[in-house]
Amino acid sequence: MSVDAQSAATTGQTDGGTGGTGGKPEDGFWVGRSGLMVAGILVVIGLYLTHGIVTMDVPEGAKIPGPKFFPVLITIATFVLAGLLVVQGLRHPEPVPQDATNYRMHSDWKSLGIVFGAFLAFALLLVPVGWLLSAALLFWCVSHALGSKRPLFDIGLALVFSSCIQLAFGAGLGLTLPGGILEGIYG
Amino acid sequence: MESLNLLLDGFSQALTPMNLLWVFVGAFLGTAVGVLPGLGSSMAVALLLPVTFSLDPVGAFIMFAGVYFGGLFGDSTMGILMNTPGGSTAIATTFEGHRMAKTGRAPQALATSAIGAFIGGLIATTLVVFFAPKLAEIAVLFGPAEYFALAIFAFIATASVVSDSVVKGLSALAIGLMLAVVGIDGISGASRFTADVPQLFDGVSIIVITVGLLALGEVFHVAARIHRDPKLSAVTVSGRPYLSKREFREALPAWLRGTAYGVPFGVIPVGGAEVPTFMAYGTERRLDRKRKMPQFGKGAIRGVAAPEAAGNATSGTAMGALLALGLPTSATAAIMLAAFQQYGLQPGPMLFERNSELVWALLASLFVGLVMLLVLNLPFAPLWAKLLLIPKPYLYAGITVFCGLGVYATSAAVSDLLIVLLIGALGFVLRRYGFPLAPIMIGVVLGPLAETSLRNAMMSSGGEVSVLVESPVTWALYGVLGLVLLYTVWKRLNTRVRQDV
Repeated sequence: MSVDAQSAATTGQTDGGTGGTGGKPEDGFWVGRSGLMVAGILVVIGLYLTHGIVTMDVPEGAKIPGPKFFPVLITIATFVLAGLLVVQGLRHPEPVPQDATNYRMHSDWKSLGIVFGAFLAFALLLVPVGWLLSAALLFWCVSHALGSKRPLFDIGLALVFSSCIQLAFGAGLGLTLPGGILEGIYG
Repeated sequence: MESLNLLLDGFSQALTPMNLLWVFVGAFLGTAVGVLPGLGSSMAVALLLPVTFSLDPVGAFIMFAGVYFGGLFGDSTMGILMNTPGGSTAIATTFEGHRMAKTGRAPQALATSAIGAFIGGLIATTLVVFFAPKLAEIAVLFGPAEYFALAIFAFIATASVVSDSVVKGLSALAIGLMLAVVGIDGISGASRFTADVPQLFDGVSIIVITVGLLALGEVFHVAARIHRDPKLSAVTVSGRPYLSKREFREALPAWLRGTAYGVPFGVIPVGGAEVPTFMAYGTERRLDRKRKMPQFGKGAIRGVAAPEAAGNATSGTAMGALLALGLPTSATAAIMLAAFQQYGLQPGPMLFERNSELVWALLASLFVGLVMLLVLNLPFAPLWAKLLLIPKPYLYAGITVFCGLGVYATSAAVSDLLIVLLIGALGFVLRRYGFPLAPIMIGVVLGPLAETSLRNAMMSSGGEVSVLVESPVTWALYGVLGLVLLYTVWKRLNTRVRQDV
């Protein structure tokens, strides 16, 4: 599934020259057609399903229609729909906004990348480092990516926020959040 | 009057001090999440779902009742004050609501919407109390073929009616169905599409999918746009949050007409309340043009009253369809269904027999939730508007942390955090290119039902496909589906012609 994220990044670059020069028709084939990416995602899903169907171990004595039956229907639908999306994308490209923006791309991939990376870091650090610090890091990174201008104040706010949650949910509602390196201090 | 007695029992269960506290907390949090920019009612339910797991089932559903209606009200508050409806059901309310706000009548618009939500919800829930048991009795007659027909109905109707493009709607549906087939197959025991990763044997949890698509996807969307789009500002709220007698009399017929539109649509799986809210809005506008002094365009109170009542009436009867048929007719209902399953309850005809106490407590708590909301929202609407002042970076940072908390709290698995991130990215891409998200939710929730009923029906018939269309019930369902599709096509052609003129 990580293919989705990668294709998101690469196609983002190909929708490159979009807004910059005011979206003239000669901007290239990909202008307004980056939506074809979704068709690509559907194809990837279809291939994954096909691979899964071919390699599936069906237990002895499974009745017909077996476990492959429904996925086969979905797989066929996925490929057909991907084809239709391609046709639709080729015939009706997305209109390029004509307003006076000087952005290279429709989406802000830098902010997006920071948020994505911060969540990934949170997921990987949660158990070894603990809720308090990893959640605070996530909070800080996201607020920074979305344009907060006070980094030092934000560190404090992030720590207060994550400790409040730890208290409310850990002590109040009895959810266990990983303590990590700070385990002994408040555990 | 058996229903009435059962309902009174339900009230006695729902009205304990602890449960009142939960409904209050639910209504409060639901409204708060609903009011926040970009977050709608289905997201309120998704984010708060994990929080309710530490409660007993009755307490959890009572809290949900509050969250559910609170989120809907929050959607409209956003729309009225900032011209950006929090959910698709609040779009129709926004047209006249925001005009009222701009002419200094924001509190009255909010009050109209709160009372409209109350009236619509009240009438719909009352109808559910009296008719849901009957509906459940009929539904007992349903076999696998009928349930398959219902699922197909929900799939096609959601995918084609809700989105602007049928292909996009169906693509979203296919993604949802694909997510639903991951995991161990319940009938044969075969491991499907798990790539031998043990964490996937149970399938992808609906909570992970909901939080990823609706919450994390929204954060990504905001991150991609926040330095691009012009800043929105909210209309300030001041003055009396009550309606004068004249305003009340003017809005009353609109509330009732809106409710009449909303009630039937809750039972039909067409993916939510957009259709009835727009029908109610359109009717009021046509009626308004015949009056001596047309109000529409200048902030008509009826233009707020009717869609709001319609929206909540739909949500009310949708709850009935969920309980009696086990059929989620909107994304929010789909998440509620997941909540039921988390407690080992299967909504549907048997629920009224097996867990009758719980059902009636839930129905009673819907009433309590409605009253609670009226109490919370009528006088405090100006306070809710203050929530719009939280700086965006902190708001979304907080939401992101809550996504992580919610997912980790339900499963305590890091793998789920990685899956939610991927689904969030997928949700962002789909939103970026205008794909509707509701069909994914419907596909995820009803996919297993569709598959098992299809296979059971065909197993019992020895592989004959004709078993799917043998009973009169299936004829009726496919017939209605055909009519819905014809209507959609007719409406599309019609608007196209009108645009050309």
